Amino acid sequence: MRVRQGTLRRATQLTLLCCALFTFLGAGDEGARFNDLGHRMMCVCGCSQILLECNHVGCKYSDNMRGELMAALDRGDSDDLALQAFVQKYGTTVIAAPTTTGFNRVAWIMPYLALVLGLTTMVLIVRTWRNRPLVPRADAVAPVSGAELEHFREEARKDTET
Amino acid sequence: MSVAVLACILITLGTLVYVFYLPGKLYLGPEKTRLSYLRERKEAVYENLRDLNFEYKAGKVPDADYLSLKASLEEEAAAVLAEIARLEEAASSAASVIRDSKGARV
Amino acid sequence: MSQVGSFALLLALALSAYSFLAGLLALARPGPGSERLGETARRAGIAVFGIVFLAAVVLVVAAFQDDFSIAYIFHHSNRDLPIAYKFAVLWSGQEGSLLFWSLLLATYGLVLRLRHKTDARLFAYASVIIAAVQVFFLLLLNFAAHPFAVMTGELPPDGNGLNPLLQYPEMVIHPPMLYLGYVGFTIPFAFALGALIMRYPGEKWINITRRWTMVTWGFLTCGVFLGMHWAYSVLGWGGYWGWDPVESASFMPWLTGTAFLHSVMMQEKRGMLKVWNMWLIFITFGLCIFGTFLTRSGVVSSVHAFAQSSIGNWFVGFLALIFATCAFFYVKNRTHLRSEHRLESIVSRESSFLFNNLLFVMFCFTVLWGTLFPILSEWVQGTKVTVGPPFFNKVAIPVALLLLLLTAVGPLLAWRKTSTESIKRNFMWPAIGAVLVGVLMMIFGVRPWADVSYFYALMAAMLAVLVALTVVSEFVRGARVISGHTHQNLLASMVHLGHRNTRRYGGYIVHFGVAVVIIGFLGSAFNLDQEKEMGYGDKMQIGPYTLVCRSYTQEDKPNYGSEWAIIDVFRNGKQIDTMYPERRFYKASQQTQTMPQIHPTVKEDFLLVKDLYLVYEGLNQDTGRPIIKAHLNPMVPWIWAGWMLMVFGTIIALVPNAVPVRLTAPARVQAAPVGAD
Repeated sequence: MRVRQGTLRRATQLTLLCCALFTFLGAGDEGARFNDLGHRMMCVCGCSQILLECNHVGCKYSDNMRGELMAALDRGDSDDLALQAFVQKYGTTVIAAPTTTGFNRVAWIMPYLALVLGLTTMVLIVRTWRNRPLVPRADAVAPVSGAELEHFREEARKDTET
Repeated sequence: MSVAVLACILITLGTLVYVFYLPGKLYLGPEKTRLSYLRERKEAVYENLRDLNFEYKAGKVPDADYLSLKASLEEEAAAVLAEIARLEEAASSAASVIRDSKGARV
Repeated sequence: MSQVGSFALLLALALSAYSFLAGLLALARPGPGSERLGETARRAGIAVFGIVFLAAVVLVVAAFQDDFSIAYIFHHSNRDLPIAYKFAVLWSGQEGSLLFWSLLLATYGLVLRLRHKTDARLFAYASVIIAAVQVFFLLLLNFAAHPFAVMTGELPPDGNGLNPLLQYPEMVIHPPMLYLGYVGFTIPFAFALGALIMRYPGEKWINITRRWTMVTWGFLTCGVFLGMHWAYSVLGWGGYWGWDPVESASFMPWLTGTAFLHSVMMQEKRGMLKVWNMWLIFITFGLCIFGTFLTRSGVVSSVHAFAQSSIGNWFVGFLALIFATCAFFYVKNRTHLRSEHRLESIVSRESSFLFNNLLFVMFCFTVLWGTLFPILSEWVQGTKVTVGPPFFNKVAIPVALLLLLLTAVGPLLAWRKTSTESIKRNFMWPAIGAVLVGVLMMIFGVRPWADVSYFYALMAAMLAVLVALTVVSEFVRGARVISGHTHQNLLASMVHLGHRNTRRYGGYIVHFGVAVVIIGFLGSAFNLDQEKEMGYGDKMQIGPYTLVCRSYTQEDKPNYGSEWAIIDVFRNGKQIDTMYPERRFYKASQQTQTMPQIHPTVKEDFLLVKDLYLVYEGLNQDTGRPIIKAHLNPMVPWIWAGWMLMVFGTIIALVPNAVPVRLTAPARVQAAPVGAD
């Protein structure tokens, strides 16, 4: 019995400790989440600034929005839920970057796709360039050989020695 | 109002005179010839050769690379120089023919 | 007054149209009299400058005389506007900016047409193309955005005033710089297209346009950085780059222009990449027009919203016309652009330029994509989305880091081919230096695995150091050769070296500047900020700094009223500065504006300098006390220092070489023209 009581007490203490710990962790966490979410949204006043970076004097929106975000986090809303609430209220443009669903995925894929395609094309072009014989231009200079080559080569050498 | 109109008329007249009154000979500039093109090419190849020499002296290019690069650049330069020499020779002999014929007339 | 201005615009349009048509005719139908016709076209082009200049003077004089009968002056000026800003009225609104564009183009055209003796035929082609662009802008000015439109009804006693965001010293020079850059790319474009149309023999046209391109690039660089500096010191959000569409618009031609500056070297030296260069400059010019369009049309929302209007269709039409013209002549004359050499090795300066170009163009594409995606999204899925800084940072930073790597590697590779031995020899010391810096940063607490921004910061720092060290090693190696010959000391030899090949070593200085700028950028991973309501004697702590509010007050001036706080700054108990963050209320435009105060901690931190950045956010109506926001932004002054280095390097690159390249022998003979059919 005593053992049991001890265990119970210890378990209660542990639970309390855990709760406290999580509460505090949660508090720290909430600050980070506020910062994170606040940087994932735009201020909607037309200033084109990130919500937490908008400092327009007398901006009617950013203060309210920050308040709403804080309230959502206090309520314990998840990130998605909080963002969703903002989208409901202010429209899709409130999110600072395209989402990774639906057509918006194209926004993210395209730059990388272009880079990969560009690189591949370039490598292919370079390879064909190296292997394909050069098509002579109409105005190309004909190469020389023999004594003439030696004579002019010597002249070029003399001219360019510094 | 009338001052503005007068100003506009004066400006227009001045402009027309400047644009259309062309006394004296016009500057047309030299025609670009094969020879002047070759001389530009020669300068470009020479620049590359000088650069290569300098980089070699600065220790940036290993001996083997230097020799092969230098050889091919010199070949390129030699081809250009040879054609320049041919064109100049042809032109000077043409000029001497003209001179001779003039001399004969006198 | 306004009649003279209106007339001048009409006359200028007529002259440009004449310059274009007569020039075209003279070139297309050579024959007796065509030279004289061509000369009148050239002179008409020169006269355009005088007439457009007159129109601009009329507008500025009207601003000085507070002539509010002209609608433009009414909308963008007021009686109490300080004198310097009355000058700026010329480029602070839509109609004025377009007039300014036209004026700058006429100025560039003037210089070009006066220097026609360099190569009369090529310059005649360029002159015709410039006249065509000028016709477009003058059509806009005359029929879509008239700067001399008059007010109807009763004259207002005072104007609406200049947008307060623009009432800042840098705003007097930022738009002209940016415009000089935008407009300037018309010149290399005109030369390139001209050279293509006339099948210009050889690569001399690149040589002729090189200075034009570099000057233009220098202006555009200044314009972009001035814009950043303005955003930093006026907008008051503590940052300098927000990927605003209009910022991006100026950045895109900068990217392709930079690619062009590099890749023309391939054409000049090796006769390669001719097609690519042609298209690169076409695209750059197109992007300049597109940038003006983005700024002016309001198709995308932006902080530059003061510039919205409906002249977009004109620009779209013009862009289509440019593209069609370029494509037509490309298809017609593409055999002329055949390469003279092959690529010999993947590890060579040539291929590093190829990669550099690919990355620049991809970077530009990414920025363009992000800027236009909202429009695309609205079109495809019916909803508008925002593509803001989080997108660009994620997508652009990796490309930027790769570019930085190439900046370090490229100059060390030899033309044509580079052996592994050579790479080892040239790379070892810079690479060791870069790794050392990385290790030091990790020792001092930068944990790249903790956050991706730290990882980027670490990579950027290492690469920037790599770039800086390779530049230094290039200078030292070169200087050693010189000092071996001349027995000067190393420093004198470096100066001598730079003077021998200004373009290369000027370019290296620009690279060094870029490295410095990047170090400035990476500081943003370690930014701090703090906001507090501060009454008398209240304290706020940010980093090692303690801010104490000594007082706050209000003042009334003719143009604006202002509120500010007096904040003493302490570090380790010692006072180091007093700062005055301010907020102004401009009377004419009825708008408020913050004036952030910045204290760079050079004395205290030396190389690890930070900006202490204070913003007066406003008064708390309930308590009557000011709310102050403080930012501590590490390394930001490096950005401005690097920018100065970039400008310095560009100027060096413009200086002629000390040992002049041997001139060609005077032409003794006249052979048949090259390519004459």
